[in-house]
Amino acid sequence: MSRRRLDEVDRAIVERLSRDARVSNRQIAAELGVTEGTVRSRVKRMEEEKLIRITAVTNIDRFRDASLAYIWIEVERSHQVSEVASQLAEIPELGFVGEMLGRSDLLAITMVRNNEHLAEFVHGHISCIPGVRRTESTLGVNFVKHDYRMARIVR
Amino acid sequence: MNTAAVSELHPQLDEVDHRIIALLREDGRMPFRALAKELGLTETTVRGRVRRLEESNTMRVVAVTDIEAAGYNLLLAVGVQVENRTPESVARELAAIPEVFSVNVVVGTHDIEALVVAENQAALHQLLSDRLAALPGVRRLTPSLAVNVLKNQPDWVPL
Repeated sequence: MSRRRLDEVDRAIVERLSRDARVSNRQIAAELGVTEGTVRSRVKRMEEEKLIRITAVTNIDRFRDASLAYIWIEVERSHQVSEVASQLAEIPELGFVGEMLGRSDLLAITMVRNNEHLAEFVHGHISCIPGVRRTESTLGVNFVKHDYRMARIVR
Repeated sequence: MNTAAVSELHPQLDEVDHRIIALLREDGRMPFRALAKELGLTETTVRGRVRRLEESNTMRVVAVTDIEAAGYNLLLAVGVQVENRTPESVARELAAIPEVFSVNVVVGTHDIEALVVAENQAALHQLLSDRLAALPGVRRLTPSLAVNVLKNQPDWVPL
């Protein structure tokens, strides 16, 4: 499932869009010295190939009492990992779901208000999934950095 | 995250703001004209709203690059245990490393949860042993490799 790597022109366009994606194709073209058509077709192609995603991100500091919670999940039997993973991916509140090697079988990340909310979320949505053996949760207290320019583009 | 939960956490924004954010999450390049039509508002109103959301540092519309397309084949979650220093000071030093793309001071078994990327195994080894483990205050690193990411939508971040 290896994806195409971005070339130099792609990277220059993406760099501009990663600062402010509401900028017009014409403006990007003028700054990079390429045609507007080049910008338009490259952006379209990169989006279609899921190399980039142009989206709104919101500031977690603007949310009242919001913390990220890291939920590590162990399954009963190893063959259940992918089934549990697909069920987790359906939960709208989760921003990250990954099958992991090492610390646990799965990692899920969500935003919660406090410890109580975290406990309620884990019990109500995760522990009840068939095949989940145990969970271990960690609550973020100071979100120092998240480079939103990088992600695994899935959908 | 569903809109009801977001509204509850975010009292300063009204329904229109939430709808604008939701539409731009789906398609960040949606033209103002199309946004206006979708919301039943004038283009001027929508432009003003988007500008206000951006200027108040509440929302940004950005291009997110796939980590593999950017040249990184490996994604790991790394738990960090800290000694003889505050977790915040270690977290700030970790944050200065470009391959460490997410850093959160946490309460739990570890003091910091970080997400890191590497081009290949050799680069990963170098990152973990020469740069992360060598940072003053880092006691132990507990890395975990993501072998299949089913979902990754960094919708809420520190801007």
